[in-house]
Amino acid sequence: MNLIAMDYLLPAYADSEQDMDAALMTIRAELRCEPEPAVAFRRRFLDSFEWSLYRADIVLEEITSNGGRELLWQDLTDDGTVLARQTLDTDPGLIADMAPGPVRERLAPLLGVRRLLPMVVLSGSRRTLRVLNDDDKTVARILLEQAHVESADDAPQVALPMRLRLAAVRGYAHETERAAHRLKTSLSLEPARVPLYLEALAAAGRRPGSYSSKLDYRLDPHQPAEAAARTILLGLLDTLQANIDGTRQNLDPEFLHDLRVATRRTRSALSQIKGVLPQAIVDDFKARFAWLQQATGPVRDLDVYLLDFPRLKAQLPPALRDDLDPLRDWLAAHYEAEQEALAEVLDGERFKTLLRDWRAFLEAPDRNGAKDAQSPIKAVANKRIRRMFKRVLEEGRAITDASPPEELHELRKSGKKLRYLMEFFQSLYPPEDIKGLIKQSKVLLDNLGGFQDLAVQAEHLQETAAAMQREDAAPLHTLLAMGALISHILDNQQRARGEFARIFAGFDSAQNAGVFERLFADEKPAVAAPVEAGAEAGA
Amino acid sequence: MKTIGVYSIKGGVGKTSSTVNLAYLAAAAGKRTLVWDLDPQGAASFYFRVKPKVKGGGRGLLRGRRRPDDAIKGTDFELLDLLPADFSYRNMDILLEAAKKRPTGQLKRLLKPLSTEYDLVLFDCPPSISLMSENIFRAADALLVPLIPSTLSARTLHQLLEFLRSEDGFGALKVLPFFSMVDTDRAMHSETIDRLSTEHPEILSARIPLAQDVERMGLHRMPLPAYAPANPASGAYRALWDEVANALRA
Repeated sequence: MNLIAMDYLLPAYADSEQDMDAALMTIRAELRCEPEPAVAFRRRFLDSFEWSLYRADIVLEEITSNGGRELLWQDLTDDGTVLARQTLDTDPGLIADMAPGPVRERLAPLLGVRRLLPMVVLSGSRRTLRVLNDDDKTVARILLEQAHVESADDAPQVALPMRLRLAAVRGYAHETERAAHRLKTSLSLEPARVPLYLEALAAAGRRPGSYSSKLDYRLDPHQPAEAAARTILLGLLDTLQANIDGTRQNLDPEFLHDLRVATRRTRSALSQIKGVLPQAIVDDFKARFAWLQQATGPVRDLDVYLLDFPRLKAQLPPALRDDLDPLRDWLAAHYEAEQEALAEVLDGERFKTLLRDWRAFLEAPDRNGAKDAQSPIKAVANKRIRRMFKRVLEEGRAITDASPPEELHELRKSGKKLRYLMEFFQSLYPPEDIKGLIKQSKVLLDNLGGFQDLAVQAEHLQETAAAMQREDAAPLHTLLAMGALISHILDNQQRARGEFARIFAGFDSAQNAGVFERLFADEKPAVAAPVEAGAEAGA
Repeated sequence: MKTIGVYSIKGGVGKTSSTVNLAYLAAAAGKRTLVWDLDPQGAASFYFRVKPKVKGGGRGLLRGRRRPDDAIKGTDFELLDLLPADFSYRNMDILLEAAKKRPTGQLKRLLKPLSTEYDLVLFDCPPSISLMSENIFRAADALLVPLIPSTLSARTLHQLLEFLRSEDGFGALKVLPFFSMVDTDRAMHSETIDRLSTEHPEILSARIPLAQDVERMGLHRMPLPAYAPANPASGAYRALWDEVANALRA
């Protein structure tokens, strides 16, 4: 199927109907070919909010023409080779709502629970000419396209230069080459160096891959700590704000998730990058972001439940599975009200003021910081990570098989703080080393998280059962199935608990301690001294 | 990749037109489709306006001197390719017999490298029961068997089923018979359809009518649904494709 297609621009022709006709005439005089009727099209290039397809070098395009709708799955790097296609009768959005087919099959693992969004939309017209041999067999296709970028508001439309695509038919390479040769001379073609998708994105003023929820700061080790902290917090604020719209519209659950992660990281940065920002500010915003975290919690809880529902159901013996359905219905029925409440929070004055105040603080120059405000960030990072590592070790070592769940919960919180600190500051350390440590902390956190989340889940199920009973929404067999589920969850929790000692021992290794020692040791005074001197002068 | 052999012991039952039309519908539904024209007469190749010629012939393919994908030609339709026939295929049994290892597994072997490139392969098979047909049975997920509603067709279906039962290794092969070239004005056709459908519940319910438009495919040299999408016979092929696609999913 791998067809070669060549894209050309026609600099000698303007973007107009007449010039399209003129180009067609020239082609027909040059080659034996059959024109197909002109087609008006609309092309929507789709991707997730975080550009998952673009990052995998895939172009997903929805083409509407002649009343039909089709999804094309193409290779971005390989001249737009179509790898799969699928007809559509509904708007492509979430995988769950999409009919089975070759595109869905490829899309599912990349898209996950995210929604497809239009990144750029083109409309225009296309003329196709089939190049024929003596048997009237199609041996190549020539597509002439005029398109403009659709804009959301009344902004003027941006026209793209006319494009000619020469698409080979398999087994007829020789004929295609001959056609290419003749067209190049007669139409003064120039190879198109940028794929149409990227050209359209640029014309629309969009930068592909511009959003990622991953932390990726480039910090200068000698930078004053306050400036570095501001960079980190501003980045988190940008991420938080980027997700507001999608959360309000509930486009997919990841918007809220990313918003909450940015909030949690902000709180963690506020409390963990100690002695850098003025304490009054830290206290004020910590409280305000805690409110936000809490206000966004209920919808996230329901999201997690509903996303996890098929897995929860599968944990029950087959005979009990359908008994669980009233639980899903109950959750779904409460979803709307919770989502509305969340949207109200996001539209509310309290939230808007929080964002405004926070940005104003982060962007305001010349503030009086705390005592370490002017210390080099590397020194502050070293100190904080060392302390937190020590705390994780102490808390972890104190845990025995008899320890209560609260102690594991505390350890998890410390572990998360450690991980966030390492993520915030990763650019200050050798990438291999720091990535290894972050990965290891994730293994520990996964175990602790599993333990904790299962406890929360079991407790939540109990509360939900009580609430459902109060609302008369829980048939007996549903309550029994929920009971069976709780027992299953508690078993799993016990298993996670059983694995803790082994996993923690892996984290608490001599080798790990060595890496921590090497990476986060105090800077030599010669490097840090001048800046610290400045800090003292300023304090 | 799924593989279908469009097969009948008897000739002239509508094999090639079924292959060509189903392949067209599969490609139109988004499946990357390959028709392998195994019939030395090359009728499927003719319908797609491709010369029935493979460099090196059947021998070149079987000896590994030529790779099948070098011989593949794109048709006039997107996602639909053809591996053309070659006149040398008339001697295919002799060539297969000469294969040192597994003379019945050669086609399956040749197909392997194409498995990531196509979602569906349709063989247009020559009529007969031969070493070549055994190769097809081993390579295919399903056999699509056109039946003219006549006593003779019924007999050949029995012969085929009997053969598949008597040999090892065809247990997973789905046999999907369907009525082809049906003339509803002939009482004999209707009676045979009723009787055979009762005897063989596996017979698909789509019925391809005997129609001039199907015969005209040779003049148009393209699949029927491509030039006469509203024709009742095109509708019958669409119904057949739906059933086949379902059977392949099951």
